[in-house]
Amino acid sequence: MDDHKSIYIKNAVWLAVLTLLEVGVAFLSISRMGQIVLLFAFAATKMMMVAMIYMHLRYETKVLQWILFIPIPAGILFTIALMYDIPFSWVG
Amino acid sequence: MNQTQSIPLNDPFGKATNGKLGMWLFIIVDGLSFAGLLIAGGALRAGGAEWPAAGEVLNIPLTAFNTFLLICTSFTMVMALNAIQKGDQSGLSKFLTYTMLGGILFLGIQAWEYYHFIFNDFVLTTSIYASVFYVTTCFHGLHVLSGVIYIACILRAANLGVYSADNWNNVEILGLFWHFVDLVWILVFTIIYLI
Repeated sequence: MDDHKSIYIKNAVWLAVLTLLEVGVAFLSISRMGQIVLLFAFAATKMMMVAMIYMHLRYETKVLQWILFIPIPAGILFTIALMYDIPFSWVG
Repeated sequence: MNQTQSIPLNDPFGKATNGKLGMWLFIIVDGLSFAGLLIAGGALRAGGAEWPAAGEVLNIPLTAFNTFLLICTSFTMVMALNAIQKGDQSGLSKFLTYTMLGGILFLGIQAWEYYHFIFNDFVLTTSIYASVFYVTTCFHGLHVLSGVIYIACILRAANLGVYSADNWNNVEILGLFWHFVDLVWILVFTIIYLI
């Protein structure tokens, strides 16, 4: 069996670096929307790194990968659907 | 006609065992539970609830350290699996112990954080923001606690020599759960603490 130790170490280092960058972005004086987009991008990257490398998802079959990834856009859709009426509460 | 003719095998899940598929299924369901909490928090916030800026109430440097700690435990967990896949039983026990201690330290820091908040009158009923914070982080904390207990059970079996280079499926399943706890924390940290 191949020794994946160096990949695991590099992954941990990158995860730590991305966490530091996230904390930096939270205090950066940029637009609010820019901040949110950057923070979600960093979080999504970190989550993919954990899933693909530490959870070995990249070695699983395409079917299993699809089963796991399909709920993500569904969650985003539900969020948008849930927030649809919020602008009305601002007006009222 | 030959009744015992075998059906061609076209397994969509490859070599994944039933136990592993069961854990993946649990992870999907549990992930949706976390999504429900985070989406509810987002909806309450967008609906006009009073929400402090990042770092105004919560201790970001401390929690960033806790995030780093959880990343380290993910590394030690994958190293435990790597060790037993090579037949290294002492390596398995060593890395599982490190992971368990990391989880306990994470919980200790979280408890310390809660203690300071409660001491400063930031409790569950203080505001919608406080409710979202406590419910989401407590739910995650319970997962860490469950993970620590789960590790302790697997560690006991490891110390009895149950696992070997040919028998490491339970360690892999444990690893999936623990990495999921880390993965969810990444999102909780971003949404609750940083945004």
